[in-house]
Amino acid sequence: MSNTLRIAPANETKKATLKDTVNEHGLHDTLRYGPRTLASQHNNRSAIQNRLENWEQTQDDLKLNLYRNVYGLHAPVRLMMERKLVSQNPHFPALPQSNVHLDVLMGRDTTLDVSDFFGGGDPGPAFVDIHRDMEKARNIR
Amino acid sequence: MSKAGFDFSNVIRNGFLEAKGIPLPKATSTGTTIVGCLFADGVVLGADTRATSGPIVADKNCEKIHFISENIRCCGAGTAADTEFTTAMISSNMELHALSTGRKPRVVTAMTMLKQLLFRYQGNIGAALVLGGVDDTGPNLFTVAPHGSTDKLPYVTMGSGSLAAMAIFETEWVAGLSRDAAIALVSKAVQAGIFNDLGSGSNVDVCIITKDRTDMLRNFLRPNEKVEKERRYKFARGTTDWKKDREIV
Repeated sequence: MSNTLRIAPANETKKATLKDTVNEHGLHDTLRYGPRTLASQHNNRSAIQNRLENWEQTQDDLKLNLYRNVYGLHAPVRLMMERKLVSQNPHFPALPQSNVHLDVLMGRDTTLDVSDFFGGGDPGPAFVDIHRDMEKARNIR
Repeated sequence: MSKAGFDFSNVIRNGFLEAKGIPLPKATSTGTTIVGCLFADGVVLGADTRATSGPIVADKNCEKIHFISENIRCCGAGTAADTEFTTAMISSNMELHALSTGRKPRVVTAMTMLKQLLFRYQGNIGAALVLGGVDDTGPNLFTVAPHGSTDKLPYVTMGSGSLAAMAIFETEWVAGLSRDAAIALVSKAVQAGIFNDLGSGSNVDVCIITKDRTDMLRNFLRPNEKVEKERRYKFARGTTDWKKDREIV
């Protein structure tokens, strides 16, 4: 969480990481995610993609930084504490989750976004790899 | 988790194709004439009814005046899918907002939601909108451009026929028009767009919004009815021989 009062996300510093696609040997998982070249990963990210992916996070940072400047450090700390408490979910993590309490705290309970009515057409298989999903959710691997 | 919204999984492939000399197909933007003006008791919105796909008329009688709430309507120019989807989403959000605040929705709320959405997408959602309605603060008329900028004006036009329609407004609009004079002016402006712009055509839709009621006059004028053919081209029974008669049950 940065300390600036940005309204729109900054131009990203491009980086190529293995974090999302690593398999158990520590290499890029070609079988699951397809071939990978460093050049294509680095060069072909559009500005609009970065903007859309980071939009909500940037708006949230702006709000919390303003609260910090106006009310003091305790205000954003309390808000984030409440969110963390509400996000602890003992249920099976690999299944799709919905958290109404978190939506209310984040102010999303009276708005509809694109993901609420698009994207549900063909859900695909429920689990591709249960073990992998659980390991990811529990931060084991 | 499948993410809805813009999908970027083909960006690398498209970049590769463009480097090889194959450009992206252009998203066709529909020509349109949409207008709005304030009058004594409220707002009048007008639109033509032609939807084009390149040089071809895709829909001769489409509806460009979209519902936002009971007292607010929005005309849409630009990419047809973008205007439909954007206005439908804002309409749903306005309903939820009205339910949670317990008040009649205001036009500025819809305008703010629209401009924040379009600014976030940096013009990639091609929707140029004329938003008008009457709420507790009085009649309001706004225009929202695809990149998210807005104007609050007493008379507005958008779309490819906007210049023709604006010429009519600039000549004849005065403050405090009566209801019939405003309807006549708006139809005249839309007809200017229909007859002088290739991207606009067919019929004129008019919507009158006042404090107490909203009247949607669909196909208020039909200046482009198809002319009846002068000769009959039907063949009389018995013109051709039939060889076999079989009943299929």
